[in-house]
Amino acid sequence: MLYLAKLFSIAGLVCIALQTGTCGDEIDFDKQIKPIIDSRCAECHGLTSREGGLRFTSRDDAMVELDSGEIAIVSGDPQSGSLVSRISSREPAEMMPPEGERLTREEIALIVKWIEEGAKWPERSVSKHWSYVAPVRPVLPAMVSSERLRNEIDYFVAKRLAVQGLGLSNDASNAQALRRVSLALTGLPPEVEVVKEYLKNPSEKRFEQFVDSCLDSPAYGERWATPWLDAARYADSNGYQADQIRESWAYRDWVIRSINQDQPFDQFTLEQLAGDLLPNATEAQRIATGFHRTVTCNVEAGVHPEENRVNQVFDRVNTTGTVFLGTTLECCQCHNHKYDPFSQEEYFKLFSFFNNTPVEVKLTSGVSYDFYGPKMDLSVDEKIRLKRDSLTSELNALKQKKERVGIAARERLEELKSDLATEVKNKINWTPLKILNFSTNSGESHRILNDQSVLVGGSLPGTSRYTVEVANELPLVTAVRIEALTHEELPGTGPGRGDVERPNFILSELVVSAGPSETSGKDGFEVVALDNAFADFSQKNWEVAKAIDGDQKTGWAIAQQFFKNHWAAFGFKTPLKLSGAQGRIRFLLDQNYGRGRTIGRFRLLATSDDITTLGISDEIKNILMLPELNKAQRKKLDEFLNTSQPELLKLQTEIATVQKKLAALKPPTTLVMQEMDKPRETFKLNRGDYLNPGKKVGSGVPAVLHSWNSELPNNRLGLAKWMVDIRNPLLARVAVNRWWTSFFGRGLMASGEDFGTQSDPASHPKLLDWLAVELMESGWSRKHIHKLIVMSSTFRQTSQSNPKLNSRDPQNRLLSRGPRFRMPAEMIRDNALAISGLLSTKMGGPPVMPFQPDNIWRTVGRNGPKWNAAKDEDRFRRGVYVIWRRAAPYPSFVNFDAPDRAACVIERPRSNTPLQALTLLNDQAFVEMAVALAFTVVSHSSEAGELRAQLAYAMQRCVARIPESEEIDVLEKLYEAELNRFSGDRVAVDALLDNNRVVAGGGMAELTPVERGHLAALSVVCNVLLNLDETINY
Amino acid sequence: MSLHKNQQLSQDLTLTRRHLFQRIGSGVGGIALASLFRESGLGLSASLADSSALGQPGLDIAQRHFAPRAKNVIYIHMVGAPSHLDLFDYKPELQKRNGQLCPDEFFKGKQLAFIRQQPSLLGTPSKKEFAFTRCGQSGIRISNLLPHLQQVADEITFNRATFTDQFNHAPAQMMMLSGFQRFGRPSIGSWTSYGLGSENKNLPSFVVLVTGQVLGAGNSAWGSGFLPTVHQGVEFRSKGDPVLFLSNPNGIEAEARKRTVDAINELNQRQLLNLQDPEIATRIDQYELAYRMQSSVPELMEIESESKQTHAMYGTTPGKSSFANNCLLARRLVERGVRFVQLFDQGWDMHNSVANRLPTKCKQVDRPIAALINDLKQRGMLDDTLVIWSSEFGRTPMGQGDVKAANVGRDHHKEAFTTWMAGGGVKKGFVYGKSDELGYGVAEDPMHVHDFNATIMHLLGIDHEQLTFKYQGRPYRLTDIGGVVAEKIIA
Repeated sequence: MLYLAKLFSIAGLVCIALQTGTCGDEIDFDKQIKPIIDSRCAECHGLTSREGGLRFTSRDDAMVELDSGEIAIVSGDPQSGSLVSRISSREPAEMMPPEGERLTREEIALIVKWIEEGAKWPERSVSKHWSYVAPVRPVLPAMVSSERLRNEIDYFVAKRLAVQGLGLSNDASNAQALRRVSLALTGLPPEVEVVKEYLKNPSEKRFEQFVDSCLDSPAYGERWATPWLDAARYADSNGYQADQIRESWAYRDWVIRSINQDQPFDQFTLEQLAGDLLPNATEAQRIATGFHRTVTCNVEAGVHPEENRVNQVFDRVNTTGTVFLGTTLECCQCHNHKYDPFSQEEYFKLFSFFNNTPVEVKLTSGVSYDFYGPKMDLSVDEKIRLKRDSLTSELNALKQKKERVGIAARERLEELKSDLATEVKNKINWTPLKILNFSTNSGESHRILNDQSVLVGGSLPGTSRYTVEVANELPLVTAVRIEALTHEELPGTGPGRGDVERPNFILSELVVSAGPSETSGKDGFEVVALDNAFADFSQKNWEVAKAIDGDQKTGWAIAQQFFKNHWAAFGFKTPLKLSGAQGRIRFLLDQNYGRGRTIGRFRLLATSDDITTLGISDEIKNILMLPELNKAQRKKLDEFLNTSQPELLKLQTEIATVQKKLAALKPPTTLVMQEMDKPRETFKLNRGDYLNPGKKVGSGVPAVLHSWNSELPNNRLGLAKWMVDIRNPLLARVAVNRWWTSFFGRGLMASGEDFGTQSDPASHPKLLDWLAVELMESGWSRKHIHKLIVMSSTFRQTSQSNPKLNSRDPQNRLLSRGPRFRMPAEMIRDNALAISGLLSTKMGGPPVMPFQPDNIWRTVGRNGPKWNAAKDEDRFRRGVYVIWRRAAPYPSFVNFDAPDRAACVIERPRSNTPLQALTLLNDQAFVEMAVALAFTVVSHSSEAGELRAQLAYAMQRCVARIPESEEIDVLEKLYEAELNRFSGDRVAVDALLDNNRVVAGGGMAELTPVERGHLAALSVVCNVLLNLDETINY
Repeated sequence: MSLHKNQQLSQDLTLTRRHLFQRIGSGVGGIALASLFRESGLGLSASLADSSALGQPGLDIAQRHFAPRAKNVIYIHMVGAPSHLDLFDYKPELQKRNGQLCPDEFFKGKQLAFIRQQPSLLGTPSKKEFAFTRCGQSGIRISNLLPHLQQVADEITFNRATFTDQFNHAPAQMMMLSGFQRFGRPSIGSWTSYGLGSENKNLPSFVVLVTGQVLGAGNSAWGSGFLPTVHQGVEFRSKGDPVLFLSNPNGIEAEARKRTVDAINELNQRQLLNLQDPEIATRIDQYELAYRMQSSVPELMEIESESKQTHAMYGTTPGKSSFANNCLLARRLVERGVRFVQLFDQGWDMHNSVANRLPTKCKQVDRPIAALINDLKQRGMLDDTLVIWSSEFGRTPMGQGDVKAANVGRDHHKEAFTTWMAGGGVKKGFVYGKSDELGYGVAEDPMHVHDFNATIMHLLGIDHEQLTFKYQGRPYRLTDIGGVVAEKIIA
């Protein structure tokens, strides 16, 4: 009814149009329509805002499908589009504009007529946002040539400065220039000797040679990998609950290698997006696709695999947009982009390119999901292959031995069968044993309850041994039984003590011994041999027989079956006969697992009956009675034999050990992209909800960017080739800007992650375009651009400021002075390691764990990894190799603004906090470096003996320049005070040096007490030097 | 600081300051004055406001969007999600129908984390221990499992129709704590710090205390996302250094540390005069502050100085790491002007044996939480301290496992659960919202996570739609594109 009413009113409007004489001539959009739009619609549907997905910025924009699914304008048919009905409506929820005056009937009539006439919208040179137009090389600004204008960069910068009445500052000192270049290119400081040598005879040519040596250094790739890995959100764990470790470091190494080889940036891009789809893809090209396998993955029990997959594809599309196009596509997941010219449909067209890889979580058992998805083995070398062969033959030998033992065990099965036949008679009577004495070696308290169970309480030690003596009056004991019981006072009711959520216990080893009665006054306990073990339940890999295998590292545990009673029974090899009326039995219960996984309440019992059939489940009993066994039944029977016989179990453990070794030699794997044979269909997801698919879409690229070449394959490889097309207006600009940011601390575009219409304008737009074109025309050489930058006067200016510069160029956006900013987290570490002489130059391989404080890694969930700080050279590897766990990244990196790498980050923030001061002052890692630097200084032959020379040398290692005498005074004063303190306090010397012995190898042992005092005082000075603002800035 | 004696330099900084104010005038986010100083990358906070990244200047009341009702927040987040149906949301009908198969619409087409077959309804056990008692003047029903909380019922507003979008722990935690299901967004404490700064120069503005393991969302739960990292939560740990790297290394004691910090600052001072980079001035201040923190933080953590009565009231034992200790620490932190204190307690994810395990957990938290509310009240701090109880979601009215067995539990549930707030301008002894008679869905006054967060911001005097930060070309806020302030709960 409402709709009809509207139709009538629209018909009426046309009549008005006729009456007002607007009917005759064709509507002039600019004169008649545009003013209406501009005054009544544009605020919400214009250049800066796109409510509901609609904006009137071009004919195309005005005719796209809206967030609601409607279309505003259908050419020639005013009644089909929603525009006319919305501007005519008076329903508050419907009408447009939603507030303010209504459009007049005349205005509406004009719009109706305009649409009827085909909604003509003159094509004009509506200037596209600059970043969507391909860059053209700008001409150099006209400048009088001078020595300060070393290369093209300087022309653009100097011109901009001249406009403000400023000029380039002078060059920094030679030592500072070398330090800045070295840190910028390799992330490491120049060696003192190299600086010394250069200062003897500085020249432009030798400077260039130094630059080339930095570019050629393998450290270059390690330094430049870090910002890329931030963008690629590379980490060594899955993210989310539990946050398990995953293996994909080969991708990180690929990035380092590619950068070192100066792989052209277009190829670098292409291989990461679609290396797997290249014809005859090499191993390296496949590893490169790890770029999009770095996405987080949720393996929580409640995860929906499809939801997880869709979220991962979203992440891939969004990261592709941010990293290669400097474009925020995320908004279009749910609706047309509010500001930038991208529609939701275009988003899902991009989505379809990434929609063809397999699901990455898999239900592995019950409700447990595991991380899954395509992996590849890395190739291994010959030595490892040989080692694998020898382990394999060892494994086979063990298996054969186990087979032989198994035959013997199986012979016993016949006996079992006859026992089973008489099982009814074998009703086992268990007698609780009276507790005479309970003691523990770890200080817990205990109570003996009425049922003769012992309730342990009080402190919770990591490990514990309970010693229990009980009275026995059974004339014959064939077996004993331990009951682990719940109790309301136990965490989560137990039966273990260590954890409310998982009150597990691990009985590492049980030793039973028998002795004379308490009253006999004699001691003389003798160990009773135990030969079989049964339990109502054993945790996988923690079978009950492991409590009597003589190995403290193994044991019986009950995980997942918490909060209930359990029992384990142990048969005596020879039944124990009582000599008098009463005897004693002593139980040693070793619980060595750690973290308080000890039994909270237990009771001890004994029996005179035969327990042979006790641990045999009904399932096994049935199998035993069968005349013939199939494969599955035989496997069950083997499992039963293995887990109840200590000897078999021992062999099983040995086999497991060898298998573990073999697994360790298994070729490392890495995560790769892999297309499914049959691609998925892609649908526009309404409001981005994977449960709410809308219309089907094909693949395609955003219309505002360069067009799709029809010869490209319609897949990810096609997308990658489209991406690296030199017509792409964004790829090169975004890349050079990101590099510029790393060199200068801020980009030519300050918002490196967004080049869209909402971004702040570039500080030097022409320079940006010039560099982008230069990158493409140099064959996409990263090193070429980096060299241009560091060779420029702009980069080599002194970073000294003055009142004039602070007022006219406060943030150095105009580049009126040299860059000066705090290093990124990893560089702070690498720089200090190099200064101290500890740095390991070992490259690549699995991630490393240097020192970090305890209790950083503690998250809930299965398979949580543990931190084992390296004691070898891995302790001193570069930051890029430190393991990156998303839930808890390396804490000193976090304090220096490292992201968690759960999502793509283009630019890290740069904060200045007291936590940073505390890190550099007190983190054991940095204290080690201070001591090592002191040790390096005293071992440095040319400065031996002379204190001020040693202090100067130490400082020079930190800041490259030769320190001023007043600076040495400060250090000397501190040194004297500390030496004075240490000479009266040998304990402090030992505390400082011995805790950090690891850094000096064996060298420290040979020092005299006086030398040790000197070293300690010098270490404190070095602690100061590593904390200097100058040391952590470049 | 001799820095301020240098006339020339001060003038330069004033100039830079004017530049900054121009930026503020152009309105980025509009509100976060305190943050703009730091965001500028100039690190001028120290020189400008005689403050530091940690001791940020707060906004004048006049600068806030509304008159603030709360100055500080103590936010208790129960990790794993407690069974609200057995604690706060009394459901006699559910008890009556205990053991019956749940209605189809509770199961068919629904996603549940663990339950795979149509489950049966699970009522609260009909034991005295689990009974709900009407409490105080308000007569609000609270489970007997929380006898101490029952005593302070008249201080609390219960939001019984809270709901969320996610039923997996990590994403739901991020949803609750940052307003987005994904990683990389600032947490609510960071937004608060960004908006309001801190009143203590020697402590961070956002402090986190954890009992049990760290939650699934990891450090992201208190991360600053794209906000400046000074706003991230700083964890005060109960084992080892209370703040990472706080204590001096072996062989270096306080006197020596003082000498080293002086030497560092003296050398940095020379650099400052030479280079005139204001960031060096900030660094000098940060070293001073770090040195002060080395005594202020241990002093704060030292709860032995509290009275016997206080310890008895909270159930605290000095030196132990416990939830009770964290509650007491929370009060001490707020007392010292820390803006946002967040407590995380692990161990509420009771998929099994809920009837056995819930009493144990309740015993750990009941007394200290009630003590915290009483203590704040006695000290006159409750009026401007907002105490919050939340979890990432609630638990199903259906049993997980055999409802007749003792080990039956409850699964994750996002459709309706209970959160509560006390002090800080919320009504006293009030119930907001209602779940349906079986506790499955919302019946009245729904409160989405965004509404919950919008209300917290409102109580702090912040319009949640105005406190924004531009990132990737888009202004972001805590409440994404949602959030309606629950006016009805404001006193």
